[in-house]
Amino acid sequence: MKLTTRQLTLCALLTALALALSYLENLFPLSLAIPIPGVKLGLANIVTVFALYALGPGEALLILLARCFLGALFAGNMNALIFSLLGGLCAMTAMVLLSRRRGLSLYGVSIGGAAAHNCGQIAAAMLSLGSSAPLYYLPVLLLVSLLTGGLTGLASACLFQGLRHTEWRKG
Amino acid sequence: MKSLPKLRPTAWDGLVVLFVAVAALGLAVFQWRDGASQGLTAVVTIDGAEADRFAPAELLESPRTYSGGGYTLEVSAAPQGEASALDHVKSGGETGVRVTRSDCPTQDCVHTGTIARSGQSIVCLPARIIIRLEGGAPDPDGVDAVLG
Repeated sequence: MKLTTRQLTLCALLTALALALSYLENLFPLSLAIPIPGVKLGLANIVTVFALYALGPGEALLILLARCFLGALFAGNMNALIFSLLGGLCAMTAMVLLSRRRGLSLYGVSIGGAAAHNCGQIAAAMLSLGSSAPLYYLPVLLLVSLLTGGLTGLASACLFQGLRHTEWRKG
Repeated sequence: MKSLPKLRPTAWDGLVVLFVAVAALGLAVFQWRDGASQGLTAVVTIDGAEADRFAPAELLESPRTYSGGGYTLEVSAAPQGEASALDHVKSGGETGVRVTRSDCPTQDCVHTGTIARSGQSIVCLPARIIIRLEGGAPDPDGVDAVLG
């Protein structure tokens, strides 16, 4: 994969945006309404969805990896890395596969990504604790992912709708 | 732009939603199918090793504390502030178990609330402590004992 300066700059910008969004979602503590570890809006997923369509899977993966490593570094918690990495990679894989299906819209892709993200995080918790106990949370997390995935899907749809009127497509 | 995504929900999206919902419900039914609520044993695991094992009713006498990863959890039979621990005993079931206090940053274990069925667990990731309910009669609606 060869990146032009323009693409590299965009990747850097999107990484910064994804980091800012993951920080921002702490202001909306969804886990207070649904008290289960791992419940969150997943705003950074909007960036992954955008990068996937606007740049391609390779670039989206670069942004995801940079976001996970920098996020864990900034939080000073390298233990959290396995959670964000496994969750992020599962979401990424699901969304790459789903985005190839022509019939699916951004909503289906986002919801699939959110559900896969939760599966990845539960897998990380099971690995980290060496126990199958976290699996108990998965059904509720999957149902919540329908809501959060739908919301990020809506945000992404608005984003692409807005970009239709710009010069973006020529880029 | 490499490819333009569809912006409006399609019938195929409904299929994704259905798949996720069925997976969630299937998993839930599978987990709660044999969730007995009597004769339970609470098993506490700290950092992968079993640390304690007790009947939930033992907590009625005094709460227990467990430490792991630099954090301390207080496990008791009823939420703090409730008039009596016995208020929390469910009809037909036994005392539930819950984490009443923890000094961990996430407080997920406290927010999880009370668990009262076999197979349920409270997980505290920062402290690496798992409280899991085990055992009980495999079929709560079945025959408990046959007397000759």
